[in-house]
Amino acid sequence: KTDQLYGHYCSCLFWLNHRLKELLRAKLTECGWRDQLKAHCKDVIKEKGLEHVTVEDLVVEITPKGRVLVPDSVKKELLQRIRAFLAQHAT
Amino acid sequence: MSPAGCPHVNGFKVDNWKQNLRVIYQCFVWSGSAETRKRKKEEGGDPQPVALSRPLQAKSCICHMCGAHLNRLHSCLSCVFFGCFTKKHIHEHAKNKRHNLAIDLLYGGIYCFVCQDYIYDKDMEQIAKEEQRKAWKLQGVGEKYSTWEPTKRELELLRHNPKRRKITTNCTIGLRGLINLGNTCFMNCIVQALTHTPLLRDFFLSDRHKCEMQSNSCLVCEMSQLFQEFYSGHRSPHIPFRLLHLVWTHARHLAGYEQQDAHEFLIAALDVLHRHCKDDNGKKANNPNNCNCIIDQIFTGGLQSDVTCQVCHGVSTTIDPFWDISLDLPGSSTPFWPLSPGGDGSTLNGESHLSGATTLTDCLRRFTRPEHLGSSAKIKCSGCHSYQESTKQLTMKKLPIVACFHLKRFEHSAKLRRKIPTYVSFPLELDMTPFMASSKESRMNGQYQQSVDVFNNDNKYSLFAVVNHQGTLESGHYTTFIRQHKDQWFKCDDAVITKASIKDVLDSEGYLLFYHKQFLEYE
Repeated sequence: KTDQLYGHYCSCLFWLNHRLKELLRAKLTECGWRDQLKAHCKDVIKEKGLEHVTVEDLVVEITPKGRVLVPDSVKKELLQRIRAFLAQHAT
Repeated sequence: MSPAGCPHVNGFKVDNWKQNLRVIYQCFVWSGSAETRKRKKEEGGDPQPVALSRPLQAKSCICHMCGAHLNRLHSCLSCVFFGCFTKKHIHEHAKNKRHNLAIDLLYGGIYCFVCQDYIYDKDMEQIAKEEQRKAWKLQGVGEKYSTWEPTKRELELLRHNPKRRKITTNCTIGLRGLINLGNTCFMNCIVQALTHTPLLRDFFLSDRHKCEMQSNSCLVCEMSQLFQEFYSGHRSPHIPFRLLHLVWTHARHLAGYEQQDAHEFLIAALDVLHRHCKDDNGKKANNPNNCNCIIDQIFTGGLQSDVTCQVCHGVSTTIDPFWDISLDLPGSSTPFWPLSPGGDGSTLNGESHLSGATTLTDCLRRFTRPEHLGSSAKIKCSGCHSYQESTKQLTMKKLPIVACFHLKRFEHSAKLRRKIPTYVSFPLELDMTPFMASSKESRMNGQYQQSVDVFNNDNKYSLFAVVNHQGTLESGHYTTFIRQHKDQWFKCDDAVITKASIKDVLDSEGYLLFYHKQFLEYE
């Protein structure tokens, strides 16, 4: 019985980890979030100069902006999907 | 940030460094799932310890200083040390031990503490890419999208052809009217739908057709030329006389100046394109099921037909390819089985039943219902070795990338020829899950409340073109609504293109409905 439960637990983790991430990636690409941030990256690079900019510079600039720019609709949909998934798979 | 890498990797690139690096990628960065690792061991493959399953491995991937696992964890490349990047724990380690290189466990990037930035070493990048591909394969993900990197030849071409066209929100690229050459709106409406089929457009605009036909009568070449005309930026209507001539040559039943059926033209055009594409691959395959031309890749689906013997309950299954689904309508002489409004399909697709209006999903439910073949149509059952009554049911085995629904509005029975004008409401987004063969199987296994995979997007479709017929069977006119950018629709009426609202599209009668898969996976 524990084997079964463990297997179930693993596959739930897998789905959540991979499928949920994939879904989120797709949604963020679809709504243009990815493009917005890419454009912002380009601006930062132009500002700091291609020779001098580091990945760290970009991380510092992009992280807060990225968080803010996620549309509410995407957040809502993800929550809905997670709830539905948990409702189905809770033993 | 130099593409040539950094000089500090040389200290690392000694002895068996390649294999060591691969192991790091395999175990801690691009690791597979618990099940696949276990399976790998059982199949006698790589003798990986089963213990290194995901949950356990996740436990071992924590910062050796603070125990956190979410602060951009990095692994030292010179020894077994994991440290947070955000809290600078890995930086401390690098300074103390003079271990200059670390790898980001989330994305696999290599950081050099001397250069103080991520570095890109060609050899190491190569290994990273290979290991990532291997992991994806293990996970059953297959190939993933990676950005385009131009080849030397492509760079040359781009330099020699400096003119660029930018797609902005309001640009009208791809929109062009078509002159009516005498009752040729049946052809024009289909051309509009095809030139706005995203995958087909991409195929032709990236010049993928390599013609091997000797004569000048390749329809695929003409299609290619058509796409060039449509996306040229010219605003004057195009005169498709060459296309018309080729159609008359290859599909004689459509020749003549009379009005023809747009649906017939679609099937004939796809057929000719498919045949001319086959010559491409050099494989004049006798087996039509073996073709991998662009037409098959985009339009061909598989329709499963299950015939169940009523006596022994043995099922005989066949799968046939299809390019379109022809749906009967209420009001025709074949009875539209009484269906209760609502039910799986409709609620899933959010259609409204305005005073009992028929929906597309109603038609699909009817199409996939089990049909009792009467006593006059007994089938020879291989189980019973005799003729028995049976039920037949159609379901979708494989969905095409572009699904075309043909609403059978033209009735050509023995006595009468007429048009059925019944309004059928169709959605902007369509989920085909209830009509799949796999859904039927789960229903039969007693799982009535289908455990819908909430993350499965495979069966979701978006409307992108609608062909309408106005008038009667004798004298009528075809027009097409096409979707240009995400939510911009245009009405194509021969030479005249006008902006249309989504409401215009959804309120229209609908004759041919074109849906495109929302999410595409690599094979």
